[in-house]
Amino acid sequence: MRPTIDQWILQDKIAYAITDRNLAVVEIGGAVHIIGDDPSACLDRPLPDLVPELVGSEDVLADILAGDLPRFEVGWAYHETAGGQVTYLTMVALPYRDQQGHIAGILHLFQDVTDMGLIAQQLAQNRNELRLLRDQLARQNLELAAANAELRRLDEIKSMFVSVAAHELRTPLAPIRGYLEVLLDEEVGHLTGEQREYLQIVQESARRLLTLTSNLLDVTRIEAGRIELVLQPVDLWALIETLAAEYGPQLEAKAQRLTLCASPGLPSALCDEMRARQIVGNLLSNACKYTPEGGAIRVSLALAEEQGFLQVAVADSGVGVPAEDQPRLFSRFFRARSAVLTRASGAGLGLFIARSLAELHGGRIWFQSEPGQGSTFYVTFPVADRPAVRPSDHPSSSPSTIANN
Amino acid sequence: MMTTISKKICLLGDFAVGKTSLVRRFVYDLFNDKYISTIGVKVSRKTVAVPRADEVIELAMMLWDLGGSEEFNQLRASYLRGASGAILVCDLTRPDTLASFRTYAAELLSVNPHARLVLAANKCDLTDQQRLAPAEVEAVAAELDASYYLTSARTGEEVEALFRHLGRSLVG
Repeated sequence: MRPTIDQWILQDKIAYAITDRNLAVVEIGGAVHIIGDDPSACLDRPLPDLVPELVGSEDVLADILAGDLPRFEVGWAYHETAGGQVTYLTMVALPYRDQQGHIAGILHLFQDVTDMGLIAQQLAQNRNELRLLRDQLARQNLELAAANAELRRLDEIKSMFVSVAAHELRTPLAPIRGYLEVLLDEEVGHLTGEQREYLQIVQESARRLLTLTSNLLDVTRIEAGRIELVLQPVDLWALIETLAAEYGPQLEAKAQRLTLCASPGLPSALCDEMRARQIVGNLLSNACKYTPEGGAIRVSLALAEEQGFLQVAVADSGVGVPAEDQPRLFSRFFRARSAVLTRASGAGLGLFIARSLAELHGGRIWFQSEPGQGSTFYVTFPVADRPAVRPSDHPSSSPSTIANN
Repeated sequence: MMTTISKKICLLGDFAVGKTSLVRRFVYDLFNDKYISTIGVKVSRKTVAVPRADEVIELAMMLWDLGGSEEFNQLRASYLRGASGAILVCDLTRPDTLASFRTYAAELLSVNPHARLVLAANKCDLTDQQRLAPAEVEAVAAELDASYYLTSARTGEEVEALFRHLGRSLVG
């Protein structure tokens, strides 16, 4: 026969014990196994001997016996059997009255709440582990913020040092370059061929030093956000032609062929002319450096695929950029292995500066390269409202050769 | 024949400060690195011999390890009934766990005005992670008129001394 709910609860989940005024067990029943003892062995024993949670509660139980306290409860008491089985019990002590209604002892009820207890334990475990992780993350964030602040401070000191050093190096360069020109122009006397050759080496070194110090200053300005652009409509085609003329001697020295081409009817760009010259000049300079003797370079100007932008492309037939170097090519002080192998001069700042300046203009810079097949660098500038390049101005909308051998 | 008495002692403190580990170290001389959250109460018993005047008392310490999660705050008052003493436990790597001591002490003393207190600043072995200075623990101990110990359940450092100190003060 199926047990009633009362029987089922009493047999499986709830035990009871009645103790006399001395807390000795006079009756015990129900699911006694949940308190882990043989019922017959419990009779006449003090209940606190069987249930440690009652030790120290004698005063409270005395209050119940005196009628001063209606109930006493201990919730979620953890028990572990000798076999390692975990149970959670909730215990309630109530006054036990005789037939005359006098308090004759205490009725103790024990409920097995293990199912809920295990779930509650798992919830508490997860919650507390999350709290510990959150606290740990908060601490780590604080430490990282402190480390970051220290790094910023050191970076500022470094930038300040580089800025001061670059300024101090530039100052004596002006008279050095000035007097070199005076000497090379033979304003103070005739030069022998050997003297001229040595002075030209000194002049080239001074020029490189000037470029290096200028780049260092630009890097410190970029890092500090102190670059200011003077935006105005600029005729990029004219700018490219001027640059091509300036690089004529370098191209000629390596017998390189430079081709310029532009689409017809292009508008002017809205940019800082000096900085645009710096960007395109840097790309052209790199193309000269990495293109072997007798190689070809092509600079083209066209509307970019992105609406509202002009695009300058500088293509060379040089050594190309190895695939493993490509992700870092625009990083500060990075020099590709091809630069080292070809012994090209430079400190690895030009492309970093070019990218920073292009982005300051709202444009972008990127490249395509195949090792051994050359590279093409692209840079975009925003279009100005006013047109600058008229088709009739440029009969060379077909390619024009500026320098060749 | 030796006199035997039983005393109820509660361990109070925020979650994961090491209350269960301190009891486990004291009662079984064991330590487990894995954190297992206690819910409700876990009662353990250890009997120690404690000198009192010209006799030695056998003291059965009923150690009530109370869950530190705040969801059991409402139950705590009933757990604290009848406690003769308490060990307040904080974690030297988590300063906020020391700040909770005043609340626990007030709760205990409101239920048992004569309960004895002793403080345990636990995890003293984690020297590189410590963010509480002993002086800070000492200041709170002075405020609560209690002794304090820098303990490590992991190494066992000062654990025996902590419980024995409380035991002596309970039978003294």
